[in-house]
Amino acid sequence: MSTQLPQWIKLNNEILVKKDSSFQYEKDREAARSYFIDYVNQNTVFFHNLREKIDYLLDQDYYERELFDSYSFDQIKEVYDYLYTQKFRFPSFMSAFKFYNNYAMKTNDGTKFLERYEDRLAVVSLFLAKGDHKKALQYAELLISQEYQPATPTFLNAGKKRRGELVSCFLLEVDDSMNAIGFAINSALQLSKIGGGVSLNLSKIRAAGEQIKGLDGKASGVLPVMKLFEDAFSYANQLGQRDGSGVVYLNIFHPDIHEFLDTKKINSDEKIRIKTLSLGVVAPDKFFELVEKDKDMYLFYPHTVYKEYGKHLDDMDITAMYDELVNNPNIRKKKVVARDLIIKIAQTQMESGYPYIMYVDNANEYHALKEIGRVKFSNLCSEIAQVSEVSVINDYDEPDVINRDISCNLGSLNIVNVMKNKRIQETVHLSMDALTEVSDRTNINLVPSVAKANRELHSVGLGAMNLHGYLALNKISYESKEAIDFVRTFFMMVNYYSLERSMLIAKERGITFVGFEQSEYANGNYFTRYLENDYSPRLDKVTTLFEGHYIPTKEDWIRLKEEVQQHGLYHSYRLAIAPTGSISYLQSATASIAPITQRIEEREYGDSKTIYPMPYLSDDNFFFYKEAYDMDMFNVIDLVAEVQVHVDQAISTILFVKDDNTTRDLAKYYIYAQKKGLKTLYYTRTKKRTIEECISCSV
Amino acid sequence: MKPFEAVNWNDPETDYTEMIWTQNTSQFWLDTEIPISKDVKSWVHLQDEEKETYMRVLGGLTLLDTEQGNVGMPLIAQHVKEKQKKAILIFQAAMEEIHAKSYSTIFTTVASTENINNVFQWVQEEKHLQYKTATIDAIYKNIKEDDPYSLYQGLVASVFLESFLFYSGFFYPLYLAGQGKMVASGEIIKLIIRDESVHGVFVGVLAQEVYQQLSIVEKQEADRFVNDLLQDLYKNELGYTENLYDSIGLTHEVKKYIRYNANKALMNLGLEPFFEEEEVNPVVLNGIRTETSTHDFFSTKGKGYQKGKVEALHDDDFDFLNQRVLDTTIK
Repeated sequence: MSTQLPQWIKLNNEILVKKDSSFQYEKDREAARSYFIDYVNQNTVFFHNLREKIDYLLDQDYYERELFDSYSFDQIKEVYDYLYTQKFRFPSFMSAFKFYNNYAMKTNDGTKFLERYEDRLAVVSLFLAKGDHKKALQYAELLISQEYQPATPTFLNAGKKRRGELVSCFLLEVDDSMNAIGFAINSALQLSKIGGGVSLNLSKIRAAGEQIKGLDGKASGVLPVMKLFEDAFSYANQLGQRDGSGVVYLNIFHPDIHEFLDTKKINSDEKIRIKTLSLGVVAPDKFFELVEKDKDMYLFYPHTVYKEYGKHLDDMDITAMYDELVNNPNIRKKKVVARDLIIKIAQTQMESGYPYIMYVDNANEYHALKEIGRVKFSNLCSEIAQVSEVSVINDYDEPDVINRDISCNLGSLNIVNVMKNKRIQETVHLSMDALTEVSDRTNINLVPSVAKANRELHSVGLGAMNLHGYLALNKISYESKEAIDFVRTFFMMVNYYSLERSMLIAKERGITFVGFEQSEYANGNYFTRYLENDYSPRLDKVTTLFEGHYIPTKEDWIRLKEEVQQHGLYHSYRLAIAPTGSISYLQSATASIAPITQRIEEREYGDSKTIYPMPYLSDDNFFFYKEAYDMDMFNVIDLVAEVQVHVDQAISTILFVKDDNTTRDLAKYYIYAQKKGLKTLYYTRTKKRTIEECISCSV
Repeated sequence: MKPFEAVNWNDPETDYTEMIWTQNTSQFWLDTEIPISKDVKSWVHLQDEEKETYMRVLGGLTLLDTEQGNVGMPLIAQHVKEKQKKAILIFQAAMEEIHAKSYSTIFTTVASTENINNVFQWVQEEKHLQYKTATIDAIYKNIKEDDPYSLYQGLVASVFLESFLFYSGFFYPLYLAGQGKMVASGEIIKLIIRDESVHGVFVGVLAQEVYQQLSIVEKQEADRFVNDLLQDLYKNELGYTENLYDSIGLTHEVKKYIRYNANKALMNLGLEPFFEEEEVNPVVLNGIRTETSTHDFFSTKGKGYQKGKVEALHDDDFDFLNQRVLDTTIK
């Protein structure tokens, strides 16, 4: 019978069973060991040597032959040998389990492993180096030292003959026409099929009760469109592996905004409830101004705006246009109370975690491509902030006008290892090369608007993880001045070197992203803050952390500015800080730049449950691993705001609150984040006090 | 004639009634909020014996929740005097009905009508299941007007049901969910356990209060009653467990879990644990910790979300926020 509980799961769960009043941390290593001996080793296909293995995997159509043909066998062997001699060991059950459960290549019937961690790294390195054997060795070093981790789709798929796409993240505009909605549904299906997360901007869709063909009251608004997308995503489930995921964004000045939020309320009608689709609200500064002044707020019917101005409501700077729209009698409006709306958002977040919030004016104020177009919405994890343009989808007898949507390929630096190895310039350069390679080799021809954007803009998103791990390891509190001082310098350096590399690629190839000449990089405005401010460490403790690192100075920035203006940049967007779910577990790192949620995490991740003590957790640093729910969210926002200064896209930021927080507390966080220049807020997580806690303080 | 009194929440009956009410209502949920259909993929990979056990486990739980919602909670509510406590009990009764229905939601999603009918047939024929329901039912129906002793018996029966007898059933969904199988259904079971833990504590506190009203002789009788009932139900539970779990080799593990929960039930009644402490399967144990666990937003709903407390913004909030922005700007 297969009901027997595996030994490693039992051991892993025993971490939480206290012995002599302390947790049994050591059980984690035992679990990792048992997992290898009792499971991985017994379920790995055995090969006598590397040649036999590679021949088999090529003959059986597991690996891509062209990839291996671009190297000599000796070169390939050198990469594998290098990786195996590094003697890498997974430090926790979670990391080993993540790799073998989610990433290691398995036989076609899914029963046996064909790869170890080293094998996957070797193939990813060979893939990224594209026949350059020296470069492959550099990538191998970068990956095995765990300084850089490509996002899941790249890491999972690179080098495989039958594989999904290397990029995972897509954002689509939806025009206000039946053709466009149909096109978007098709695109959503296609992108889900290849494993992507899809974000849709619904702000252009005419509101419920608007005209269709000049007849009043005929339009059904955004809700039925949301239902269509929800069903599309649950249909495209990647051979049953995982349902497609999607998010829809709506501008807060769209008249369907209340109904949009109600779809996530606990007591909403089944017919309108949205279960699996995520929601995001796009909020211009005007909204916050009206909230602060406690004023009424007008929502604008988008179809009447389009008819009047020939321009979509959400393509406008609504903050600048607000008074004009209010005073234009041809614009149909609905009056609501701004403070009621922010409280409603807070209430919906408490009940469901949604919506995400995009501070669209913050995103556009520091937007390096502001002369090219506006940022209008974000993605499924709210770290993307890029220009997008709606396409015009015509009938069959007329060609479509395809404009640029958004795709983004991501990767993350592991802060602990980057700081330890003290070669941040090289690390960031190589990481940028890895991301560039993925962008260059991606062509999503299923969705032409996405392919066009990638072809012209080469956008990538380099992020980071393990910030809390790094701080705890160095006995720095997450909420301290030192932490803020550290991220200021660290992310300034990441920004500097990513710009430098992008410039060097443009110089080497003689190619910039399309529209570079109109960008803030070309006119030099982008660099102003670096010429006016010094971002090197101010505190002694932080200065010590950077010992052995070269920190770019103002003079370096002046030189870089000139070089960028002369040679251009290859990438329109470079940095974005993703939430790093699976890959931070794989790296035994804390997620993203976020605080930890539990010192010993109990993780439910779709198809598995695992107990995971935070990296390096010990009695020594227990105190520095303060849990997010115990932190002051204002402090967390302050830290993110410091990082945001150096990140051209956005940062996935989660709010963590206890269940005694009210809608007022949450609303204050939203407002504060807006004032501090954050571009997005991801979801809000509520920690429920347990009944023992409640009873014990009362009965 | 005695005048009718309205429930007055401005006048707290005890220092905990309102807190229990708030806790209970804030964690309100519906079975339809959980995307059970995600479990279909997991279901097809279970072996036939595992499927059968799973279905029967849920069938048994449905019967117990039906009894608790239709008979137990309403009868207890009728005989408890205080109106706020009555309100809580009636709300809990409604939740029991949602629990009973949610098992059906799982059935409907994963199994065929024929299989479902077979399970309900099995529920009627399984003698241990019928026996425990009949035993509890008889105690409920024996509660008499203005008779603290029979009310105490009813409250004890209720606590045993909520904190003890359900768990032979809860074991299996928790055991599977802990291994990444039937995770969405596991989520439902955890939501049910979250409710039952409040019910168990609340009814346990009521029982202790009623106990204090008993005479010394009655107290001795009551103690004997609790012990006899425990032994009787425990013996029956062992047989039930063997019937359910022998085919998948988990009987031994489940029996430990039953004893563990019997002790918990006794503690809710303010009594000493009866069984020796044993090591319970850690996967199942971790499944019932009711703290919010970290979860993947795109996959399950999570136990962490609940009705929020609404409070408006104040004008001086903005003074605070603007000042803070000034204070934190690095010059």
